[in-house]
Amino acid sequence: VIHARLILDELRRQDVTDVLGVPDNASKALLDLLAPEPAIRLLTVTREGEAFAIAAGLWVGGRTPVLLIQNTGLLEAGDALRGTAMRMRVPLVCLVTVRGHARMAARGLRPSAESVSAELLSQPDLDSVAVLTEPTLRAWGVPWEVVSTDADLPQLAAGFRRAQEGEQPVAVLITTDTVA
Amino acid sequence: MKRDDVLRALAGRRRQSVVVTTMGTVRPWARLSDHRLDFASADSAMGHAADFALGIALAQPQRKVVCLNGDGSMLMSLGTLVTIVASGATNFVLFVLQNDTYELTGNQAIPGAGRVDFAGMARAAGPLRTSRPCRPFSKAWVPSASLSASSAARRGRSDEDPVRPRPTCVRL
Repeated sequence: VIHARLILDELRRQDVTDVLGVPDNASKALLDLLAPEPAIRLLTVTREGEAFAIAAGLWVGGRTPVLLIQNTGLLEAGDALRGTAMRMRVPLVCLVTVRGHARMAARGLRPSAESVSAELLSQPDLDSVAVLTEPTLRAWGVPWEVVSTDADLPQLAAGFRRAQEGEQPVAVLITTDTVA
Repeated sequence: MKRDDVLRALAGRRRQSVVVTTMGTVRPWARLSDHRLDFASADSAMGHAADFALGIALAQPQRKVVCLNGDGSMLMSLGTLVTIVASGATNFVLFVLQNDTYELTGNQAIPGAGRVDFAGMARAAGPLRTSRPCRPFSKAWVPSASLSASSAARRGRSDEDPVRPRPTCVRL
């Protein structure tokens, strides 16, 4: 499991000022902690593409935003990511909860290693968005880190580091539910 | 009301406001203004200029931020109207220049051309949390169609236009 408190601690260490996104079950515990957090503004948007563009504006204005979205919304937001955060070289960390990861793991499939095909994407016991997440990030030129347990949380800090050093968006894939 | 009349009036009154333009307003605005607080979203994500401008407004509450959006662009991200209101920003002014066409691609009609009511949709997005005259929409600020197809098409041909709008990637 991943304890939401530890993620919040890292966001504080990174001086994050704003978290933008659309809620999902996996991020609920973190959202519950963020809502009353005085130092971080939480802004819920209607679609994930909005979040990328608003975050780019926040960064231009001097803030340090982070996205908190599900992988389904990531796929929806491709043009917004391309045309704002990537185009403007915004060092934006995107926390992406990965719907469907558990089903892939149960089948012994590794998301980054599988070839995308119609056959794979249509299998009823798989969630196709999990199959597509890492190949899509690769195609879009977005590096990513994976956080599956508390022990992986140094990868979150690594994501911030990569975003700053590369001056570009970096995804941090959260593959299990956050808990209180 | 012609678009350039609106832009000219706005350019004379913008002072230290941030102005974000997109699509059909980028080059007309750049002919009127070369201000360090102009940001052109010409090559940015379609439909997201208002979102980008909202981000600047939230980051810089001491400044007024103006977005000159198009009707086609607004239709691509109508949820933004709700997000703007929910954000509580009181320094953000969103103009929708409604000419009922996708001007840069040859003046094809937008969905609902002649019927869509942006002011009504903005009012329906929720109460504005402002005590200042910050009006995301009002009929007075929504100019009607004024450009012929041929003049609009000429405006869209960037290779004939020496104006270089200010890029979006400069931090304030």
